Amino acid sequence: MGVLEGIRLAWRSMSRHRLRAFFMMVGVMVGISSLTILYSVGESTKQETIKRFKRMVGTFDTVIVRPGAGRMRGMISLTTAEPTLKFEDAQAIASEVAEIKQVAQVQNAFDIDVQYRDRAATPAVVGVSANWLDLRGDEVTEGAFFTNDDMQSLARVAVIGMDVQKALFPDENPLDKTLRIGDVPFQVKAVLASRGAGPGGGSLDNVILIPVTTASKRLFNRDYLTMTVAQLKDPEDSETAIRKITALMRERHRIAPSALDDFTITSPRASMAQVTQVGSTLSKTLMGVAIIAMIIGGVVIMSLMLIAVSERRKEIGVRRSVGASRRDILLQFVLEALVVSSLGGLIGIGVGLGGTRIVIQLQNLPHIVAWDALGLAVGLSVVIGLVFGLYPAWKATNVDPVAALRV
Amino acid sequence: MIEVSHVSKVYRRGDGTPVTALNDVSFAIVAGEFVTIRGPSGSGKSSILNILGCLDTPTSGTYRLEGEDVSGYSDRQLSRIRCRKIGFVFQSFNLIPRTTALENVEIPMIYGNGRVDRTKATVVLQRVGLADRTRHYGTELSGGEQQRVAIARALINDPHLILADEPTGNLDSVAGMEIMRLLQDLNTEGRTIVLVTHDDAVASYAAREIVLRDGGIGSDRSTA
Repeated sequence: MGVLEGIRLAWRSMSRHRLRAFFMMVGVMVGISSLTILYSVGESTKQETIKRFKRMVGTFDTVIVRPGAGRMRGMISLTTAEPTLKFEDAQAIASEVAEIKQVAQVQNAFDIDVQYRDRAATPAVVGVSANWLDLRGDEVTEGAFFTNDDMQSLARVAVIGMDVQKALFPDENPLDKTLRIGDVPFQVKAVLASRGAGPGGGSLDNVILIPVTTASKRLFNRDYLTMTVAQLKDPEDSETAIRKITALMRERHRIAPSALDDFTITSPRASMAQVTQVGSTLSKTLMGVAIIAMIIGGVVIMSLMLIAVSERRKEIGVRRSVGASRRDILLQFVLEALVVSSLGGLIGIGVGLGGTRIVIQLQNLPHIVAWDALGLAVGLSVVIGLVFGLYPAWKATNVDPVAALRV
Repeated sequence: MIEVSHVSKVYRRGDGTPVTALNDVSFAIVAGEFVTIRGPSGSGKSSILNILGCLDTPTSGTYRLEGEDVSGYSDRQLSRIRCRKIGFVFQSFNLIPRTTALENVEIPMIYGNGRVDRTKATVVLQRVGLADRTRHYGTELSGGEQQRVAIARALINDPHLILADEPTGNLDSVAGMEIMRLLQDLNTEGRTIVLVTHDDAVASYAAREIVLRDGGIGSDRSTA
């Protein structure tokens, strides 16, 4: 008997015992559909997190140096930062670490009022270098970003985010208008393209960028940085660069070999791996639950198959008498389990894809079909059928045709 | 056709004690014979039929079928022999439930060359007089009709040897007679028929009768 003939046989036997086939399928169906939903939604959530994270950090080919030892919670600002990271540190990183393409210096504050006529807002005020746009891959929709000349001349110019434009200039063109940051007047030179929501869900557009030199000398009156972003020539070199920057900074800050760093270096790549790790731990747990459901499905298949084998002793005897070998009987019963579990798996995938669609629509996530999950699901249902069908099938081959055919 | 020499069959009971079902049995059947095997229950009738039908192998001795010694054959080899050379007819018909007459007849073809020839199955059902019953399920057929389906199933691979185990045991006398006529026709066509029975009326169709007693041959005589 060929495999194709066996499948046909299995199909017929299944359609003759629909209720039994249904019960055999249920476990696999539930397992596979939940697996598909979990995996697809998990993957979709992960992608969305990555996207938001990317919006926040801009590019991934950077390393970020912050003042202070240990990771600080939340965003550092001038009021919370230790005054240890200097402008000169950033310049030294740019000139002495061969792996670094360019460095941006950053000074930021969150609690400064910004006013235009009778309107006010409290965006993040961030002093950055003129290369910020290029380094982060951001764009302006109107006007032009400030230049190195503006940096040199401590120009009071500002680039505003979408949210600031909406808050301060709801119905007029903000370009060349003068707004006040604290008490200092700044001229709006450009509007940043919208970046949307960050990983926490908050807007990334509630921001004003000004030249970091101006920020330091004319606004904040501080000579230290809250952050330095160093862009790598080759993203693969991030570990080497971190090692070299660490050595350079320790030397510049005259840190004794036994003492801890007074700065923290992170790479967006590593931080993101951490963010997505949390998601995948959860989905792994849920995946375990789904797999248990499938194993229960498998056990149901096995027990119903065992009952079927004892009910069909006579049929087995007849088939043996007309020329079926043990192998033919084994094949027939294994294929029956396989066909049932595969069909359960396919239905499960259908249900799972439908469920995924609903969840994704409800949570407003990107629609992703996790093809590898579907492959895994199909593979798993085949394996379940095979593993749990094998024992009943083996039992079937051991039916003594002589005894089975006796009245 | 059939050569059984010094065949013994010893079974083991559940508790391990051996039971001798056949003890040094020898006989030969020539192609085209119609033979009945009779004897009280426990005399070894079923055992010898199972060995003749390649469903079981002798503990010792040899069994040659059409010149081929099958005593030491593997399960697959025996299955091929059953498929091509032997047709079984049982007392309880043994049609597969929830399966039409036609599908029942097709089953042996699955294990033959693997090709199911529906036309051939229909022709054979016609041959046993069931042309109008091909789509019927076993439960929709009378006992005699079910047995004729079983005979059609036994014939589908065109075997030379038909083994029948009390084929009329579950039938009334009219239906039983029809079945015996059918078997007689098959014998006239040249097929060898070995039939196990208790029934004298059935035994009268055969030209030769082997009587088993206590696992050995009690008598072997021509009844023609």
